[in-house]
This record gives sequence, C-alpha cells and structure tokens, in this order.
Amino acid sequence: MRESQLMFLQYLTGLLVVVFGSFHFLLISVLSPSPDKILYAYSGTSGAHVLVGGTLFYSWVRAVYSSLIWGSVLELLLTFLVFHVFNGFRVVLSEIFPGTRADKIITYALVIVALVVFIWGSRTVVLALNGGF
Amino acid sequence: MEGSDMQEIVLKGFGEVVKTITFRIRRYDPENKELPKYMEYKVPIQKGMTVLDSILYIKEHLDHSLAARYSCRMGICGSCGMIINGKEKLACQTQVLELGKNLIKVDPMGNYEITKDLVPDVSKLFRNHETVKPFIIREEEEPKSEFLQTPEQREEFAMFTDCILCGMCLSACPTSASDELYLGPQALAQGYRYIADNRDLGFNERLNALDSKHGVWRCHFSGACSEVCPKGVDPALAIQLLRQVLTTNVFVKFKQKGTTKAPERKSVSGVS
Repeated sequence: MRESQLMFLQYLTGLLVVVFGSFHFLLISVLSPSPDKILYAYSGTSGAHVLVGGTLFYSWVRAVYSSLIWGSVLELLLTFLVFHVFNGFRVVLSEIFPGTRADKIITYALVIVALVVFIWGSRTVVLALNGGF
Repeated sequence: MEGSDMQEIVLKGFGEVVKTITFRIRRYDPENKELPKYMEYKVPIQKGMTVLDSILYIKEHLDHSLAARYSCRMGICGSCGMIINGKEKLACQTQVLELGKNLIKVDPMGNYEITKDLVPDVSKLFRNHETVKPFIIREEEEPKSEFLQTPEQREEFAMFTDCILCGMCLSACPTSASDELYLGPQALAQGYRYIADNRDLGFNERLNALDSKHGVWRCHFSGACSEVCPKGVDPALAIQLLRQVLTTNVFVKFKQKGTTKAPERKSVSGVS
C-alpha cells in the first residue's frame, strides 16, 4: 500500500475511534440494565473500595454487549483502534529507526502483534455475545 | 584562543565602533578527534557590521583557524546559514547590533554532518533535492517553443521558486533531527513547486519519493522551516498542499494541469 493510502486510513480510523469510542462510553450508561443508573457503586465495608454496582459493573456491561448490534460496534471499535494504534507505532518507530531493513522488521513485527491483539480482542467480543466468559 | 588582549582594529567601510561584543563560537574539527567546544572572541562592533563581518574579523585578526562558509555576502547564495543565538539565520543578513545582545552564540546548522567549525556538509540537502527531480519533466525530448503561462498559473508555485537552497529549513526541522532519511522541507517544497507548474508532467515520476515512508507524511507540522526561511518561502504550506494532492490521488488519479503537448508556434524570440 502507498503511504498516502495508509495515512488516509490512519486519519479516518482516528476519527472513527472518536465516534465509536463515544458510542462505547455513552451508550453503556444509557443502555445498561443497571437499576441505579450510576456509573460506579463501591462498597467500602471490607476496608477496601470494591465495585459492587452501577452501569460500569462487569455484569451490566456484559449484558449490553450480548446484543449483536452493540457487539458489532465493539468489534468495529476494536478494528479501528488496532489499525490506528499499530500504524501509529509503525510511523513513530520508522522515524526513530530509519532504513529499509528496519522498516521491514518494524512492519512485519507490528503486523503480527496487531493480529494477535485483534484476534484476542475479537475472542472477547464473541464470548460476550454468547453470554459471557 | 582568546581575542580579548588583541589590539582593536577598525574596519573600513563601516560606522564608528559602538561596543565590544563577545562571540561564543562552536569549534569542531573531525580530523583532530576532539570533542566540540566553544571559544569566545571579543569583537569591536562598528555600525553596519553583520555576524558574517564579525566572523571574518575573527578569522582575519584573532584566529585564522576558524572555518566558515560564505560567498555573496548579500543574502542571495545561501552559503552562510548558521544558528545565531539559537535560531537559523544567514550570517550576512544578520546585523549584530539588531540582535541587542552582548554575547552572541554561533553554532553550525543542525541535522548535518560538520565539515569543520561553522561549515556543515550539505550534501544531504542536495541529495534530497535531486530525489524529487527538481526540473520540468515532459514527454517530448525537446520542446519546439516556450510554454505559455498566465500570471495566475505562475502564482500557483511562485513563492517556492524563491528557495536559495541555504538548507536552514532542514536544520530547523524536528523530523529531520530524528529521521535521517526524511526528505526534508526544502526537497518537499520543491517537489510541490514542480507538480504545481503547468509546464510539468512529472507527477508520477516524483510520486515514489514524495509518497514514501520518509516523504511528505512524516512532517510533524511544527512550522519551524517556514519560520527560519530567509526568503519568506513557506515549505510547511507546500507540504500541506502536497498532502492534499496525494490524498486526492488515493481516490481519483491526480491529473496535472500541464498541457500534454508543447505549443506549436514560433517562439517570441524567433528562435525555433
């Protein structure tokens, strides 16, 4: 791919991360089946603060992402994030370590790490769709 | 060598001596394997003296071993670019008294290998310049007559023709500091200068260099290049315009405005 194509995708995914990230954060609190509709509820009885309720409580978040639509939103967010982050790393590293050989090593290494992160993240999304893990 | 004990010599052609100013100059000779060091020289400053005049005064009267490069002494050739009090300037265009300091620090331009003292090796600049093919590219071997160009068509790139290849933009560029393969603002601005020229048809030939991993996309847009340019060229603008062209080219194949054929008419001068 040409650098201009990659950089166009870099800017586009940056924008999409903001849009989908906003969905991710805002809609959890809107769609969460949490009865109290507050973000966090801590219990301090044991001496340590432990999250016990609220819309960001694990089981409520998982409930939102058991829906196919919101699971797809999460998967898309993951896709955009992985591309944006690892292409950004590539740009930074190729600037610090210039050279054709270094460019190749950096690109291949980051493609492998990006694929691992993407597959692992997708696994989490798919498991959430199936009701939990 | 300290110049403080030297007898004050007044130069002809300048005004009266106003004050004595200390020049702290970075000295480095790669051949003697010593680390770079700063040496101080006291120069009697007369009205009208530039930093280059002061350096030549030091070289002539205080320390013959100081190396500096210059040629035209009037801001045309771009040979005497250096870092004066932390900012890239042409020494021949910088009036000492206008700096308003009693201590003037002079360094060679950054992001270049140093040949000696204030003389950088600018071969990187010329190599990068060559990479973007800084000439009109046409399909035919030799045009039969000159190309017509309206004032508006020339205006598209006129500013970028003022580049004198002093290399100060590359010295100030933060990307060039970290990425030694980066083409740099000078070469990128010249790439745009020819792409925007209606006589040129060489966009595709320049594409590999401009749209590369160390090309136009690596600019951080700090704007330092435009700030230091002694000729008012705005390389940062050229880089943004190039990005616009290359982004458009992702979707629609970019077509240069150049005519595909040279006008078949007799030249104005009558030479065909």
